[in-house]
Amino acid sequence: MFAYYFKLGLRSLRRNRALTALMVLTLAVGVAASISTLTILHAMSGDPIPEKSTRLLVPQMDNGQVDGWAPGEKPDDVQMTYQDALNLLKSGQGERRTVLFGTEMPLEPPRKDMPAFVSDGMAPTRDFFAMFNVPFIHGQTWSEADDARGADVVVLGRAMAEKLFGDADPVGRQIRLMGFPFTVTGVVDHWNLRPRYYKLIGGDTFGGADDFYIPFASAIRHEAGINGGMSCTTKREPGYAGMLASECTWLQFWFETRSSADRADLQGWLDRYVGEQRKLGRFKRNVPTHLYDVMAWMEELKIVGNDNKLSVWLAFGFLALCLVNTIGLLLAKFSVRASEIGVRRALGASRREIFSQFLIETGVVGLAGGVLGLALSFGALALIGMQGPEVAAMARMDWEMLGMTFLLSVAAAMLAGLLPTWRACQVTPAIQLKSQ
Amino acid sequence: MEIRPILSALLRNKTGPLLVALQVALSLAILANATYIVNERRAVIARPSGLADEHSTFYIRARNLDSDGPEQRLATFKHEADLLRAVPGVASVAQVSQMPLSQSGWNTSLTLDPRQERQSATASMYLSSDSIVHTFGLRLVEGRDFLPGERLDRNEKDKAEPPPQIIVTRALADKLWPGVSAIGKTLYFGNNEISTPPRVIGVVEHLQTQSAQIDEKGEFSIVMPLQRYGDSRTMFAVRAEPGQRDRVMKEAESVLRKSAATPMILEMRTVDQDRKDRYRGDVALQWMLVTVSLLMLLITCCGIVGMASLWVTQRRKQIGVRRALGARKVDILRYFIVENFMITSAGVFGGAALGLALNQLLVSKLEMARLPAGYLAGGAILFWLIGVIAAYGPAWKAASISPATATRSV
Repeated sequence: MFAYYFKLGLRSLRRNRALTALMVLTLAVGVAASISTLTILHAMSGDPIPEKSTRLLVPQMDNGQVDGWAPGEKPDDVQMTYQDALNLLKSGQGERRTVLFGTEMPLEPPRKDMPAFVSDGMAPTRDFFAMFNVPFIHGQTWSEADDARGADVVVLGRAMAEKLFGDADPVGRQIRLMGFPFTVTGVVDHWNLRPRYYKLIGGDTFGGADDFYIPFASAIRHEAGINGGMSCTTKREPGYAGMLASECTWLQFWFETRSSADRADLQGWLDRYVGEQRKLGRFKRNVPTHLYDVMAWMEELKIVGNDNKLSVWLAFGFLALCLVNTIGLLLAKFSVRASEIGVRRALGASRREIFSQFLIETGVVGLAGGVLGLALSFGALALIGMQGPEVAAMARMDWEMLGMTFLLSVAAAMLAGLLPTWRACQVTPAIQLKSQ
Repeated sequence: MEIRPILSALLRNKTGPLLVALQVALSLAILANATYIVNERRAVIARPSGLADEHSTFYIRARNLDSDGPEQRLATFKHEADLLRAVPGVASVAQVSQMPLSQSGWNTSLTLDPRQERQSATASMYLSSDSIVHTFGLRLVEGRDFLPGERLDRNEKDKAEPPPQIIVTRALADKLWPGVSAIGKTLYFGNNEISTPPRVIGVVEHLQTQSAQIDEKGEFSIVMPLQRYGDSRTMFAVRAEPGQRDRVMKEAESVLRKSAATPMILEMRTVDQDRKDRYRGDVALQWMLVTVSLLMLLITCCGIVGMASLWVTQRRKQIGVRRALGARKVDILRYFIVENFMITSAGVFGGAALGLALNQLLVSKLEMARLPAGYLAGGAILFWLIGVIAAYGPAWKAASISPATATRSV
């Protein structure tokens, strides 16, 4: 009977056009608001690397001062000092490890017609590319020897490579960074994950892709400028060397373990490391260290802000209002068909049959609302995307959210339809069949 | 005023009125909170940065790709600043370390006594050996600007010590020394012991930090008459004459490029752009809240009109009988308006309770602020009005039903 009821539902849509249009529109608007805000939330908080997200871990140690600090307060900064980063790199813990920081430096293109400009990039160690599954289109990352001695090599982002060299393979060519010639060893394909969970600190979480990657040791050797945040809680000597030797935190570190079970071992090692350093007079605050996996790290850094959550709540509140409105409209719609129901019941239809007929009818309304709601969602997302390119990249519908739209619309309509449908079942045939 | 009959008629058939009341309640709860948030954000966005003429102020991030020594670099930057001052239409130029609302800069923690446990405040630092007070157009409410002899240029490799004189903002002065004048008071940066800590010689009314935080911290700034040279990068803040900013920007850029022997990287930004970027998220949220609120009002209105029309249609015979028995048009009208008023009232009271509950949820989960009672009261009055206006049309239609319908058998 499902197909028959479905056809009946479609036909009833046409019967009372004004009422139906109002119902479908109300539902569509509510669904559109909810889905568009949910899409943005989904894009911001989805797991960016599901195959590995429990194995990529960020260590966090609190090296702050004891003065002016009460136990239980959050650390001043979640980044790491240079000393600790070097020690962790040498430790050999985990299957792979990398330290990184954002940097900006003047780039002089090899083409004479293009003036120099300041470019944003990163200074990771070699393992970064393997750890985060970064795709290459030309060449590969630099060698271990280059990584260790800080050679002047660079991996370009695809957009930058195309800007400087067009479609040609730039491996082996040279560009000038910070006034020194750097040799290109590879080009990374379009890999612009938003949020940029691997470098969450230093702004630009939802911004453009990195233009270049140079070895960490090279950046240090050339005293590259930091494009991110730094927190210094003790006096430091002036100059770059002073900053490296100080307790200033400005680096981000990632471990990759072979399996999620290795996390406990890593935590143990980290605790022992901090214990040893404490004996040397560092880490005066006696707080435990933490390891964050990708999702926990995004949560800790509050990637999804309060405003996004507020938008989603508001949208669902709006949907609730639309549902209540729809209930009223459905009641009105079904009440005029009391005589039809009476006839069906008199001819032998059980209450359950009437229930399923009208529930399927509301499902059809929900489907129609879903189609219109989808169109409106695209419109709403386009409007939201007008804020700026960063938001526009998040405001994109994927297959999951598409399916979710129809699911939400049909479910909402059916929920709204429960009361009117139940009312319709209560119709007593005898009263309806009287000739008066 | 026949309240009892209306009430008992409503209670007989509860579903319809309940639905309308529920819609009014939901709308009121969400609308009150949404309006409050919109107003709050508006107040945040309207805060003054302290600059006298934001629309005419812009800044240049300059970077020379030379390999000069620090002294040479200092001389080059001073020369470039003079070149900028010579551009027609420029009111003032200063070499600065950061700009308000730019979301890029330095903060420092402050103490009144180097031995104290907790910091007294965190402030943003504006460094310049030119006059920031003049270039930004800041308003001095106490004390004075720096004298030429107090302005220092220091090599960045030298020991970092604060200068002997500083200027603070009024908000910071009130926080650190409430009730007394800040002039002559001393400050310590962090817990560093210094023999001659810097002394406050002036207080400006407003100077927002680079992050323009929402709470009081957004107004804690310190101006220091100090410049650290040696880096290849610097920033020039330029205030142009009113209305001339765009032209001056173009000329300034070309003047700087012509003056440099080695290639130069310049990035020009205006304070207007920075303000827009800083508050972009807040503006977007405001738009969303306003749009959804208006849609909600519309839907609730439609719901009331729809329900009222439905009841009128259902009760044609009853109305006809009343008219036949002698009720005037205005009696029927009054009946329906009063009925609608009662339903809306139920919705309004439910909505007030719901609104408070929703606000409590927002305060606890999303760090929002408490809703003042005025918003719920205003919303209640709004919905009462909407209810009456929405019900008027169907009520008038009901009043126009002729008594003859009572006698018809069909």
